[in-house]
Amino acid sequence: MKLGLVIDMDTCVGCQACAVACKQWNTSGTLGPLTDYDPYGAEPDGVSFNHIRSYEVGEYPNSETVNMPMSCMHCETAECVTVCPTGASYKRESDGIVLVDQDKCMGCNLCAWACPYGARELDEASGTMKKCTLCVDRIYDDELPEQERQPACVLTCPTNARHFGDLDDPESHVSRLVRERGGQQSLPELGYNPVNRYLPPRPKTTASQAKAPKAGLQERLRGWLGKAVTR
Amino acid sequence: MNPALSVIFFTVVSGTGFGLISLATLLDSLSRGRMLSTTELLVASVAGIILATAGLLASTLHLANPKNAWRAFFRFRTSWLSREAVFSVLFYPVATFYVAGLWLYGDHRGMLVGAIGVATAALALTTVFCTAMIYASLRTIPQWNSPLVPVNYLLLSLSGGSIALLVVDTSVGADMEQMLIALSLALIAAGAGSKLVYFSWIGKPRGPSINTAIGLTKGRARLLESAQSSSNFTTREFDYRAPLPLLWSLRLVVYALGFVVPALLLVWMWQSETAVTASAALIAALAGLGVERWLFFAEARHTVNLFYGRQRC
Amino acid sequence: MVWDALWRDIFSNDAVDGPAKSADQASTGSKLPRFENHAAQEKKYSTCYMCACRCGIEVTLEHGRIRFIRGNPNHPVNRGVLCAKGNAGIMKQLSPAKLRNPLMRRPGTERGAGEFVEISWDEALDMLAERLGEIRATDPKKLAFFTGRDQMQALTGLWAQQFGTINWAAHGGFCSVNMAAAGLYTTGHSFWEFGDPDWERTKYFMLWGVAEDHSSNPIKLGIDRIKRRGGKFVAINPVRTGYQGVADEWVPIRPGTDAMLALSMCHVLLAHDQVDWEFLGRYTNAPFLVVQEPGSNDDGLILRDGEGRPQVWDATEHHLADGLRPGVTPALFGEFTAPDGRRVKTAAQMMVERYLSDEYAPEQAADVCGLPAETIERLALEMAHVAFQESIEIECEWTDWAGRTHDRFVGRPVSMHAMRGISAHSNGFQACRAIHLLQMLLGTIDCPGGHRPKAPYPKHTPPPAKPAKHTAPNTPLSGPPLGFPTSPDDLVIDGEGRPLRIDKAFSWEAPISAHGLMHMVIGNAVKADPYPIDMLILFMANMAWNSSMNTRSTQKLLREKNEAGEYKLPFLVVVDAFHSETVNFADLVLPDTTYLERHDVISMLDRPISEADGPADAIRAPVIQPDRNVRPWQEVMIELAGRLSLPEFTDERGEPKYTGYLDFITRWEKAPGIGFLMGWRGKNGDKPLRGEPNPEQWERYIEHQGFYQYHLPERMRFFRHANRDYLEWAKEVGFNGSSEPIIMELYSEPLQRFRLAALGQTDGPQPRTDAERERLKRYFDPLPFHYAPLEEQHIDRDEFPLHAITQRPMHMYHSWDSQNAWLRQHTAQNYLFMNRRRGQALGISDGGWAWLESHHGRIRVQVKLMEGCQENTVWTWNAIGKQKGAWGLNPDAPEATRGFLMNHLISELLPGQGAARVSNSDPITGQAAWYDLRVRIFPAETGEEPTTWPAFDSVSPLPGQPQPPKQLRYQSHEPVRLTRKFIDVLMRKE
Repeated sequence: MKLGLVIDMDTCVGCQACAVACKQWNTSGTLGPLTDYDPYGAEPDGVSFNHIRSYEVGEYPNSETVNMPMSCMHCETAECVTVCPTGASYKRESDGIVLVDQDKCMGCNLCAWACPYGARELDEASGTMKKCTLCVDRIYDDELPEQERQPACVLTCPTNARHFGDLDDPESHVSRLVRERGGQQSLPELGYNPVNRYLPPRPKTTASQAKAPKAGLQERLRGWLGKAVTR
Repeated sequence: MNPALSVIFFTVVSGTGFGLISLATLLDSLSRGRMLSTTELLVASVAGIILATAGLLASTLHLANPKNAWRAFFRFRTSWLSREAVFSVLFYPVATFYVAGLWLYGDHRGMLVGAIGVATAALALTTVFCTAMIYASLRTIPQWNSPLVPVNYLLLSLSGGSIALLVVDTSVGADMEQMLIALSLALIAAGAGSKLVYFSWIGKPRGPSINTAIGLTKGRARLLESAQSSSNFTTREFDYRAPLPLLWSLRLVVYALGFVVPALLLVWMWQSETAVTASAALIAALAGLGVERWLFFAEARHTVNLFYGRQRC
Repeated sequence: MVWDALWRDIFSNDAVDGPAKSADQASTGSKLPRFENHAAQEKKYSTCYMCACRCGIEVTLEHGRIRFIRGNPNHPVNRGVLCAKGNAGIMKQLSPAKLRNPLMRRPGTERGAGEFVEISWDEALDMLAERLGEIRATDPKKLAFFTGRDQMQALTGLWAQQFGTINWAAHGGFCSVNMAAAGLYTTGHSFWEFGDPDWERTKYFMLWGVAEDHSSNPIKLGIDRIKRRGGKFVAINPVRTGYQGVADEWVPIRPGTDAMLALSMCHVLLAHDQVDWEFLGRYTNAPFLVVQEPGSNDDGLILRDGEGRPQVWDATEHHLADGLRPGVTPALFGEFTAPDGRRVKTAAQMMVERYLSDEYAPEQAADVCGLPAETIERLALEMAHVAFQESIEIECEWTDWAGRTHDRFVGRPVSMHAMRGISAHSNGFQACRAIHLLQMLLGTIDCPGGHRPKAPYPKHTPPPAKPAKHTAPNTPLSGPPLGFPTSPDDLVIDGEGRPLRIDKAFSWEAPISAHGLMHMVIGNAVKADPYPIDMLILFMANMAWNSSMNTRSTQKLLREKNEAGEYKLPFLVVVDAFHSETVNFADLVLPDTTYLERHDVISMLDRPISEADGPADAIRAPVIQPDRNVRPWQEVMIELAGRLSLPEFTDERGEPKYTGYLDFITRWEKAPGIGFLMGWRGKNGDKPLRGEPNPEQWERYIEHQGFYQYHLPERMRFFRHANRDYLEWAKEVGFNGSSEPIIMELYSEPLQRFRLAALGQTDGPQPRTDAERERLKRYFDPLPFHYAPLEEQHIDRDEFPLHAITQRPMHMYHSWDSQNAWLRQHTAQNYLFMNRRRGQALGISDGGWAWLESHHGRIRVQVKLMEGCQENTVWTWNAIGKQKGAWGLNPDAPEATRGFLMNHLISELLPGQGAARVSNSDPITGQAAWYDLRVRIFPAETGEEPTTWPAFDSVSPLPGQPQPPKQLRYQSHEPVRLTRKFIDVLMRKE
């Protein structure tokens, strides 16, 4: 299995719902608590696994605004695992989820250096690195109804821009999405082979115009004379 | 990259320490004991070990959760940091045996001690190599992802070590070896040359662009909103933006302090071989090396910066 | 320690060895630990209150703490999704800004100095009841009671009515009354939350002036569905963020010119004859005959017979006929002469003559709106194509108002949604009517794929309620304080034409101010214009900060004293759950519960959560108990009502009728069988929508996850304005007072009546001054038209060349979320955004500081340059800037040091001299014209402080307020870690 996320950049409106849902779930989840620094002060910051940034492409008035949610890509060639000296960072063979064993991490940050996507953050209070777990503490919980065995970010997304599934299964919902919409990897040239895919914005829908002759006020009034409608 | 002072201190000091002890033992073996006296060797070795240790200890300050540091040896298979840990630890017993051998046998040390010395040098230089490979193996930082980096680290370790050896030689030795100055100058030149190649190689960023990062290539892409009120771990660690004029002037400082001044001082030493001159050269070289390492970090552009609006890495 | 760790490793719990032996093992994760102890968890359902969307939430609790809040998958509004604010409820609950105890301003201290003493609830309520009793016994309108972000206007309005004061309104006057009123006077429902695009079927969706709206999650769900279907989504907004980013086409319109765009598109439709004449003829007053006798008292009014029935010209019989008669065939066009000699013209004719003129041609509109004429023409023709060539049908038998059956609903699947970008202008009412006209021409109202009302709408145009006028000691009002005037007789004025309300609503200054003018209350009260009051109660409204224009002046007014040294506003009561800037100015603070700690109703009498396919309502029930001395405001109101013996709350013996809020909601009836909650009525809970009180109604709601939904039979789902089954049912269940068909007012006769009064052509009340007359004559046009926003007409446009507006971010709701530790990690400072080229041309750099100036004031701001911004517009996120020390924040919080309010640039009065200055509002509804603001900008000098200006004094902490922690580590249970086997560390190759 290659579990991962497919993010639809055509419908993501940058609402941050997934960022906060992730925070909320994980602060009481297996990697919790997620520390918040200076929560009411000058530099509010906190450990976060999911960042949604907005970009503009092109120039006014033809610019586009695009939002890009980013969390761990659970790469196939996960260099963050390669470089980890203690083995705290590892990739599960069964489903490909990349995890950080909190009991082993020594907080050297090297995995963060190796991650092109900024997926990992140091929790200063615990001294360990934390990151998206693909909600491993939800997806296998058989006490939850099946529909709820998905990452918190996927369940909350109001524009249906997040999808979860097995990208190793060509008939899975996510694999189909990637095929149909041309799902892309971020920074493919680095060779990390990220499992998460981004669906690019769809080509803008164009619409047909009504084809009818134009006429001025007097001509129209003349034409409409006698027009009547039964109430 | 945020230039962490503890990491800079570590690579400069332990690099020099490892270079010092390596040069000492290798020269001793190559010259079959004729170039350096036992005292010089002892001082050089012990000084090298102390410097290396100081650096290594400094590097552990960088750890946020040091109680797990003992685990760092177990992923030798894949991790350069693990390998560095293993080799740096293996260095100690071997280096200790070497020093013991020097101490016990002194001028009558035989081939065994010599071999242990070579092993010490091998372990020391391998450690330096592993350190460099930690950086060079990272594809996320195009400025580091090159064989130039380990070459540089080794050359600068050796050239720094060679100047340190001169300090030992002039302080402790009876006669100063002119050969050492020549060797040192050669190493400085090699280091300077390799650094020049490196600076020109990293010249214009030509790694990934913001367009391949966000997957949209139809036009110029710019960050509109990071959705962060303040810095976070990622920006503090990776988004270090020094002004370009500063970086350029610091490159000049690297040359001046790290290569030119020591070289001039060394040339002068040909006439007057004083420990003071050698020490001055060492201080200048270390300062220059410190700036060089600082630049190594400050000029590094981690690809995560693309997501924060950098156009190119 | 090392040995412990190794031991743990060897026996660790993660199944990492090799690929899964079977799909089952991988999916059931047989070797994974139990991360959540579900047995120790409990789920409770309630309604979110982080904004006014009212999504259903499922809250998982354990050990008395909140584990997780998520969207309720069964809830009709959000169907399981939840936005960032809803997800951040835990941090709202943990906010250090929570009020903890009733407070009284320390005697001898100044208002606004922030020195309070804690008092008991008994003391607070005794004090309040006594003072209220005195007011009620002497002059009830000396109590002004205005509510802000609340969702219980039905209760607060009832309370005010029973108390007997006309000085009540909610915040619609400074929020979006233009939207609500324009719709209610035109189609019978409006945008905002009274209707929805038909997300399931629409093929073309046009969004006007929306950044984020109350209906936020449904809009997001809907946009995704439209895109999946391949529908086109067009966004009209000067800024390209949020929804606009995912739109197929972004139309960067100049702020305040939307009427021109809408009417120009009408011009195009008329020019190309792409109009649904059937719709206009059947469902609107387009064929009604309008008197054309300038100078007479009925000029511009609809011709009526002796019984008041509107007249049309029978096209087959060629004479006048009753326009309401089923089967009549009126001519849509023509000028005729009535038997009594009066000349008449159809409204449709008047409409065409106006909009097909050159005035509204795309070439003209292009200049005004800043858009290419080609775009305007193309958008109109695209909509026409969808409406007429891509129409859809739903086969279903239905009966129209005249008893005729039809076998299908034909849909013209073009839909629209509009909000604050249209509303918050002094031309917003007409702009919104213009959009409704566009909808009418396309026939896209309450049809499949169009814009559909949500129960209790559609209502008659306008709903028949009139605002109460007369107050008397110890007497309730004869009707609700707010209503829908249709002529000057309905105005709330005295014999001399002076306003009777403190906010001057329903006066000549703002005749159709259906939601009041909350933003004028403080100023008017302090200036004693029209009269002084004794007490102002503010509920959940931040009038001393971001909800007022001209903030500094408002704060000054609150502190103003007369010669005797008493405050001109004698007593200010602030009811809120959190330490806002306004709380700081109170004389009495009554602390409310948070949304997770209270009961509430989201009621059909109020602002329900209906869907287009049927009415729905909901409750809030406490998920956790408050840990401090707070009381829900509804309970306090019921208690005060009992103490004051307000008739509806008092029984025959003079005792309080209700034991509390729950009892009140269960048993109070507005009319027989109609109460606050419509689900499970009847003694046995088996009478939906109308029935006797069910003593177990609350329990039923709680059992059903906090909401009740009724599904209309399909035959009653469309064309409800003319759908007999629906109209009769709507009357039965109390939504409408009559089952007559609802006629859409393309031509708005009420407006003409006000105009006639201004012209002196009336026997009724007339405006007093020339200025008032001019306003009515010019703006009360019965057909929508475009005019430049009022501020623009009073300033030099070249001196202030830029438009300044705000947008609401999706993750913050007004001023309410800076206290939220998680949300403020995303936005703790607002920037002034402007078009990059424009900014650079002015020498302003990205991230640089600049001065922003209006006719009224100046502020210093930090600028961000962007592409997706109309070149004559600057904007910022709404209400992020905070006063130092408020909201539980440290004084060095960016909200206070670098964030800013646009409000400081906005005056509540239009530029001008002395008494002639009128409210900076829409002349028809009094809607606060926030977005009319015009500014200029220039870079700050180097060396200036990179901080916000003006800066305000720091707000002191309240007694008992905890120090905000420097670090938060929230968890509801100890984490169950997943560890990796040590042997795997050693053996794995990668």
